[in-house]
Amino acid sequence: MLLKLAWRNLWRNKRRSLITLAAVVFAAVMAIAMRGIQLGTYELNIRSIVELFSGYLQIQNKNYLDNPSLTKSFIIDKNILDALASTKGIVSYAPRIYADGLISFKDNSRGAAIFGIEPDKENKVTTFVQNINSGRLFDSDSSNDIVVGDQLLKNLEANVGDEIVLLAQGYDGALGNQKYKIVGTVKLGLQELESAIIFMGLKSAQSLLAMGNRVNVIAIRADNLSHLEEIDNSLAKKIKDSDIKVLVWNKVNPELEQAIQLDNVSGIFFLGILIVIVAFGILNTVLMSVIERFREFGVVLAIGMPQINLTYLVYIETMLITIIGLFIGNILGIVVNYYLIIHPIVFGGELKKLYEIYHFLPQLKSTLQPSIFYNVSLSILIISLLSCIYPAYKVYKLEPLKGIRHT
Amino acid sequence: MEIIKAQNLVKIYQDNGVPVKALQNINVTIDKGEYVVIAGPSGSGKTTLLNLLGALDKPTEGKVYFEGEDITVKEKSELSKIRLHKLGFIFQAYNLIPVLTAIENIEFSMMLLGIPDKERKEKALSLMDELGIKELANKRPNEMSGGQQQRVAVARAIVNKPSLVLADEPTANLDSVTAGHLLDLMEQMNLDKNITFIFSSHDKQVIDRAKRLIILKDGRIENQ
Repeated sequence: MLLKLAWRNLWRNKRRSLITLAAVVFAAVMAIAMRGIQLGTYELNIRSIVELFSGYLQIQNKNYLDNPSLTKSFIIDKNILDALASTKGIVSYAPRIYADGLISFKDNSRGAAIFGIEPDKENKVTTFVQNINSGRLFDSDSSNDIVVGDQLLKNLEANVGDEIVLLAQGYDGALGNQKYKIVGTVKLGLQELESAIIFMGLKSAQSLLAMGNRVNVIAIRADNLSHLEEIDNSLAKKIKDSDIKVLVWNKVNPELEQAIQLDNVSGIFFLGILIVIVAFGILNTVLMSVIERFREFGVVLAIGMPQINLTYLVYIETMLITIIGLFIGNILGIVVNYYLIIHPIVFGGELKKLYEIYHFLPQLKSTLQPSIFYNVSLSILIISLLSCIYPAYKVYKLEPLKGIRHT
Repeated sequence: MEIIKAQNLVKIYQDNGVPVKALQNINVTIDKGEYVVIAGPSGSGKTTLLNLLGALDKPTEGKVYFEGEDITVKEKSELSKIRLHKLGFIFQAYNLIPVLTAIENIEFSMMLLGIPDKERKEKALSLMDELGIKELANKRPNEMSGGQQQRVAVARAIVNKPSLVLADEPTANLDSVTAGHLLDLMEQMNLDKNITFIFSSHDKQVIDRAKRLIILKDGRIENQ
C-alpha cells in the first residue's frame, strides 16, 4: 500500500511532479549526450592517433618501453605468429625496428629516429604511410629508398631524390653506415618528430643495424577498442617467451591517455554541476510536497504509522519519479547519441585545420557505450536519494500533533 | 475496569515565551466501555486533555495510565504502537487520506498491522456494510459528503477493534441530522462492541447523549 500511496501522491500535484520529472529527464539526456560526445570523441581520436602510428596494441621486449635499445629486440618465431593468427579481434599486424642514428647530407648532419617497416603490412595497421607529403613511399622493405620527415629534409637542405648517408650503432655494437636515396617526405603534424624521422624498409634497417631477423616491436590493429583487454589477455596467455609482453595503446602512448584523462575530469566536473543543480530542484519539490502534507502526515502518525514508514514513503515517491525520469531520459539519450553517431558534428574552417594538424578528426561523435547509461542513471539516482535526506529528516522528526495542527 | 487514568495532569504551553496553563491538576479515571464526553467552552482545554489521553502529547506534569501502564514515559515508537493497536482517533476535519478511497482509508491501519490484503478487504467491507457505507467503498474523500467522510473516519478508527476511541469535536462540521446519525452509530458501536468512547465537544447533541460528562473550565475539571 505504501507504493500505491506514493504513486497516487505523485499525481496529486501533477504540475509539480511533471516539472520534477522534466528536470530528471533533462539532466539524464544532457548528461548522456555530454558523456556520449565526450567518450565518443575520445574513442574517435584514440583510433585516429593509434591508427596513425602506434597501433592499438604492441608486442615488445618487456624492458623495451622503459629503456629502448636494439638489444631489447626479439625474433618473430612460430609461437608469436600462431598467437597473432589465432587471437580473435586482431585485424592485422606489422613488425618494426626503431633505432637512433645520424643522417648526413653534404655538410649537414642531423640526429635521426630510424623506423624500419614493411610497407604492405604497415598499411594495414596504421595510416602514417599515407601521410606522404612529397615523392613516394619505398616499394619494398629491402630497397635502399627512404622517406624522411618534412622538416628533416628542410634541415638537411636536401631534396627528394638526393642521396644521404645513414650512420647507426648496430645490434652487435658496431657502427653501420649505408647510402640511401630520399624518395619522399612525410608530414605527421608533430614538428619534433618530423625533424628526425626516417622510414625505411624493415630488411634494410635489419641489415644496417645488424639485427638479423630481430625486431623491436610488432604493432597490432584490432577490430575494436573495446576488445583490447581481451586481445591483451589472450596474447599474453599464448606467448610463451616471458621476455615478451603485450602493451595496449595507453601504455605505449601515456601522454594521450593523460590528456584524455585531464579532459575527462573537466567533463565529469561539468556533469557533476548539472546533476547538483537537478538535485536542488528535486530537494525543493520534495520539500514543498512534504511540508504541504504535514497535516496528513500528522494524522497517519496519530493513527499509528511508524515514523520510519513515513520516511520510506518520501523516498519511494522520489525514487518513483526519478526512475520514470531516468527511463524516459535513457530512451531519449539513446536517440540523441545514436543521431550524433550517424550525424557527427563536423568542424570547418580554422578549427578543422587545427584538428587535422594533430591528426584528430575535426568532428564530435557520440557513442552508445552502456557504461554511460548506467553511470549517469546511478549518479542521478544517488543524488536523488541524497536530495531526500533533508525532507525525510523533517518527516522523521515530525510530531503527530504538530502535523495535525499544521496549516 | 479502568482503561485510562489521568493523575495530577498539568499542561503548560509557551505562547511567545509566555507560559499558558492549558490544564491544571486534572484527575480523571475512565472505565472500559464508558461513553464519556468532555465538554466546556472554547479554550477550556478539552482538546489538550484528549491529546494527552491519546498519547499524542506529553504533559508538563502528571501521569497518564493506559491499561495500567504509564504512557507519559514511553518512547515515540512505543506510543506509536499503542496508538496503532489500542486507540482509534476521529478528528473534527475527518482527515482521511485524500489519495486513498474509502475502503483503502479503512484498510490503512490494518495494513500498518501487517494484516494480509484479502483479510483487510473482507474486514473493511464487512464493517462498511455494518455502518451502511458499503456503497462508498471506491469513492475518494473529495467525492463524499462531510457526513460520509466522518462515517468512513469512524470505520477507520474502530476497524482494528481498539480499546479506546478518542473523538475530537466529531460533529463540529456536520449538520444536526447527519451529526445525529453519526452519534447513533458510535453509540451503537459502544453498546455492541463495548468500545470506550471519549469525546471532546461543545455540541449540545453530543453532550445530551453523554453517559458521563466531564466539564472543563479554564483548564480545570469543574464537574465529572
